[in-house]
Amino acid sequence: MAINNLAIENGLFTVTMLLYFAAMILYFIFFAMQRERPASIAAILQTVGFALHTAALIIRGIGAGRLPMTNQYEFATSFAWGLCLVCLIFVHRYQFRVLGTFATPVIFLIIGYAAMQSKDVRELMPALRSGWLGFHVSTAIIAYGAFGVSFAVSMIFLLRERMKDNDFLKKHVPQKEKLDMISYRAVSLGLLFLSFTIVTGAIWAERAWGTYWSWDPKETWSLVTWIIYAVYLHLRLRRGWKDRSAAIFAVIGFICVIFTYIGVNTFLPGVHSYK
Amino acid sequence: MGDIVTTVKKTWKIISSMGFAIGLLVILAVSCALGSFLPQGETYAAYAEAYSERTAGWIVALGLDDVYHSPWFLAMAAFLCLNLLACNLVRIPQILRRFRAAGEMPRTAAAAEAAADQLTAACRDSHQAEEWMHSLGFRKIRTGTTEDGRECRYGVRGRAGLWGAWVCHLGVLLLILGFGLGQTMKQEYTVYGLPGDSLQVGDTSYVVTIEDFTVDLREDDTVEQYTADITVRDVSTGESHRDTTSVNSPARMFGLTFYQNSTGWAAGIRVDKNGELLQDENVCAGDYLTVADLPDLVIMLTAFYPDLRMTDQGPVSASSALNNPGYLYMVYYQGQVLGMNVLTEGEQVTIDDYTVTFHDPQNYTLLQIRRDPFTPLALLGGLVTILGLLLAFYFPLTQVWAVEDGSGEELNGWTVRGRCPKGGILFRERFKEVTQGDGN
Repeated sequence: MAINNLAIENGLFTVTMLLYFAAMILYFIFFAMQRERPASIAAILQTVGFALHTAALIIRGIGAGRLPMTNQYEFATSFAWGLCLVCLIFVHRYQFRVLGTFATPVIFLIIGYAAMQSKDVRELMPALRSGWLGFHVSTAIIAYGAFGVSFAVSMIFLLRERMKDNDFLKKHVPQKEKLDMISYRAVSLGLLFLSFTIVTGAIWAERAWGTYWSWDPKETWSLVTWIIYAVYLHLRLRRGWKDRSAAIFAVIGFICVIFTYIGVNTFLPGVHSYK
Repeated sequence: MGDIVTTVKKTWKIISSMGFAIGLLVILAVSCALGSFLPQGETYAAYAEAYSERTAGWIVALGLDDVYHSPWFLAMAAFLCLNLLACNLVRIPQILRRFRAAGEMPRTAAAAEAAADQLTAACRDSHQAEEWMHSLGFRKIRTGTTEDGRECRYGVRGRAGLWGAWVCHLGVLLLILGFGLGQTMKQEYTVYGLPGDSLQVGDTSYVVTIEDFTVDLREDDTVEQYTADITVRDVSTGESHRDTTSVNSPARMFGLTFYQNSTGWAAGIRVDKNGELLQDENVCAGDYLTVADLPDLVIMLTAFYPDLRMTDQGPVSASSALNNPGYLYMVYYQGQVLGMNVLTEGEQVTIDDYTVTFHDPQNYTLLQIRRDPFTPLALLGGLVTILGLLLAFYFPLTQVWAVEDGSGEELNGWTVRGRCPKGGILFRERFKEVTQGDGN
């Protein structure tokens, strides 16, 4: 990768991080102090941050001559990008700025985790040199992003229960039924994309390793995550598990997603391990 | 007899129930997680060393050393298949009924009211009703009259969504069946060798000849690609095909798939006896050669270093380029280690009358050969599952009716009713937005 590209990407990444951080603080002020203006500025900063983040990923991709999705740093920064994208879509779709208050800390934590990883651009091992890489990882990014949004919405739901109603909350925080529905929509999106991730991963694995499913820890935990969200959807239907129970389930589901991403790569050896 | 029928009915009800499915899914998830934490396929001794004798006993007894192939895990997967099948069979009539009902325009105002989930709005005339329906996303609006002669309009979309969960269940069922049958019926072989070698593929009638094998290195010494040029011949028919196989691009011939799986180093071991050539064979690193006229004497090529450097920690390879080949060997006589050392190119070791030299190091290729006739079924299952999820999540059944109010000369406007059970509050809000005037 040309040094210039790496330097530009580094610069953009740092500015992105700062913008996400500023957006997080402003969103926090908006929610805690119940003031309108910080949210407007935070929304702009988050959007600009997202644009720069996109530029950083594109520049890294151009410099590396491949999609920037192959090591812990690249996947972490892509994960944060995916979460930010889904968050912005949901904020726009449901006119729901408070989501930013709960999503930006997660985005910041993930991009902070990315900042702690090695940013070296390494050549790919033969197994990773596949057209399926783009499909597999990009669907995972959207899936994880959607689960992240369902986590944020569920946290709002759980907090909303403990807060006294006032004009600010009435205006900015949707009623519980709507929060529950938005969380459900995010889980639906996540589960659909996670299914794409698993299927494209299986097709790729069949070509690269001669077997489409080998109970590698990452595969296994993706399946566990898929099952957890499938159970979530069934419980909603069968027991009318909505509202609080569903919110708690969505939070547990996202913890599982985080383990699938960070925990498995770090602690469990396998073909997805970066150790 | 009655008792048996009752028991069968009860069992069927349990097996086809969602509760049963949820229970199975939870146990499967926990089992999968357990299998990922606990090293799989280890021996009792390894578990005893890592944990304790008692724990190791439990691990082996419960099949936790091979969770994904243990009888209880397979039984749960089988029960899940049964549950999916039963659930889908039970639901066909109900879904068909709803699917057909949604396709027909309600012919009485009462029928429309009954199904409308209380989402109603009053409007001026049919023109406004149609406008609202268009705003709600209904492009095709049917026109008709109710049984009592009133005009009505009807819009429906997302009928296919009624099949979403059903299709998804079918997909998961096909996936599990494809995977399970594949595990049972698959054929899997490995062969390894050097260019020029012809290798028998297990107990089949196929012979693989390795025509060439290349390892493409980048400037930084990392591997870009491994490529094997192979010819496969069916000795029973004499038919043969030639193709290349590389990582991520397997060769498919005779219904078998040939994967470039891995590689390693091999070298020639030449044995001279009293100055005369006794034998000269290629041996892969980790493999051994038995001396032809003295089978008790074995020479093992323990490891190979293409760019040998001797360090305090022992021999290492500075790069993967063949700059200074080094051969770590061990000599065994009657099963006892006679000696070990590292030789470089041209060096030799003498054991009584025998002189051993190593030469011509080269990469060997290890090919994995598979035939799994059920892979397409599993793939189909995966795709059907995705299709089911798409239908279930993004094509929810949504209906809108508009019926003329009153009858005869007392006509005084229209009532619009909407329904989207899966849309919940989001559809209700949209309905309100449109019918209260700010939905465009």
